[in-house]
Amino acid sequence: MQTEEKLVEAAAVTKITYQLKKIILFLCVFTLAKAYSQTNQDSTKVYKKRVLETTEVDFLTSYYSQDGDNAAVSGGLGTEELTDFTGTFVVSIPLNDDDVLTIDAGVSAYSSASSSNIDPFDSDKPADPFVASSGASASDLWANLTGIYSHSSDDRNDIWSAKLSISSEYDYFSVGVGGSYTKLFNEKNTEISVNGNIYIDTWNAIYPIELRPFGEGGNGLNNPLFTQNTITGNTNYNPRFKEFDSEGRNSYALGFGFSQILHKNVQGSLALDFVQQDGLLSTPFQRVYFGDVADSFIDNFQLADAVERLPDSRFKVAAGGRLNWYLNDIVTIRTFYRYYFDDWGITSHTASVEIPIKIIDKFTLYPSYRYYTQTAADHFRPYEEALSTDQFYTSDYDLSEYSANQFGFGISYTDIFAKAHIWKLGLKRIDLKFYKYDRDTTFSSSIITAGFKFVMD
Amino acid sequence: MIKRVLIVIAIACFCTNCVVVKEYEKVNINDPDMALAEKKCDRNLTTAHSYREAAVGANGGKTGGGCGCN
Repeated sequence: MQTEEKLVEAAAVTKITYQLKKIILFLCVFTLAKAYSQTNQDSTKVYKKRVLETTEVDFLTSYYSQDGDNAAVSGGLGTEELTDFTGTFVVSIPLNDDDVLTIDAGVSAYSSASSSNIDPFDSDKPADPFVASSGASASDLWANLTGIYSHSSDDRNDIWSAKLSISSEYDYFSVGVGGSYTKLFNEKNTEISVNGNIYIDTWNAIYPIELRPFGEGGNGLNNPLFTQNTITGNTNYNPRFKEFDSEGRNSYALGFGFSQILHKNVQGSLALDFVQQDGLLSTPFQRVYFGDVADSFIDNFQLADAVERLPDSRFKVAAGGRLNWYLNDIVTIRTFYRYYFDDWGITSHTASVEIPIKIIDKFTLYPSYRYYTQTAADHFRPYEEALSTDQFYTSDYDLSEYSANQFGFGISYTDIFAKAHIWKLGLKRIDLKFYKYDRDTTFSSSIITAGFKFVMD
Repeated sequence: MIKRVLIVIAIACFCTNCVVVKEYEKVNINDPDMALAEKKCDRNLTTAHSYREAAVGANGGKTGGGCGCN
């Protein structure tokens, strides 16, 4: 009797599954047929508007500062104080009705107490991981030039773009190429896109000053650093050090996007990114202190037992979504969520909300909140917890487990007629924003950003 | 698992068909604050996040390369 009931139940489940499959198949066929028919409707050329009416110039600038007590340069213990000033011009030039060339050129100048401690012994003051040094590595300049060419089809339903970028700083050089294809259909209610980028990067590896005499051809403890300073603690200082064989780093990124207008006041998007990185993924000047090796010091500064060693390959996956809702003529709600994981053992969640509020005709306020959390990388070890027998190790607290809250506030001014002028450029928009970011560790940062948008007469 | 993926695809595809907002109805959708991307003036903030956080991507920003960050 029971067997008979089970057979009847199984037959019912099979029937439901079969019906479900039929419904799914029907939906897919119906959807594709409808999308195709609408694509054909879209292709009817009615009116061809220029993709970009006139040249646009954006000037973006920011001032960033941070501090904390877990500097990776000094093995997870030391000042993370850093300031950075950035200025960027983005110029978009319409070449004809369909094509736009965008030139993006920027510089970023930073001053870092932590990276100054690559060589903490070059000032008159006693070396200390919590005190900035005055060496050459205390500051650097990053420069970037990117060119993007985009072409839109006559019906504006197909967009191709190609990108070439170069960036350089003292110890890092990068060349990047990329491209994307975007397809709009369903009367431009739906958009799908695919993009790919390749970055070929090269380190000019800089190592902590006390490790260099133990590299190839070095003179070890006979180096003046050790003969002119007194080693305390373990006086038989003998770090585990060998320069990296290869200084290249390649990154390959493939991304997919889907966006949809859900209502005349609501639209959303989904994005999926895959990134494969190969090569030198360790940062050569980040120290590690082993828990099973006796500590050596010069002044108050602990001498490195090694530099971080991380696998030479990393695969990352990020899936994110946005949902924006035009609540009314005053309030809009912008939301974002992302899930991320990689094969170094890190998983992460990011969620943010921004609520633009139009206070009067030309001014909008931008309060925002962002939450971020991540698990630690498999090879992360806090200060003094790595072992000399480990294959991989890092004390970079950016790879540790933590969560962070960020609060932001901004204001924008918009003049659609761009009446105010500088030369032939009419000022269309000014954005000014401030963000405060706090981890549940000692790390915190803040950034002020400003953007100025001009349109050519 | 395959069934779940098929259902998600079907729902996503269905969404593309259930509503068609005409061009003349897109006044609100075309508002700059409705853009489905990070704003230009937030770009340096995103860059700072990519230096300090492990997670990158799926937000229109850089996914790695071009700097000494992750």
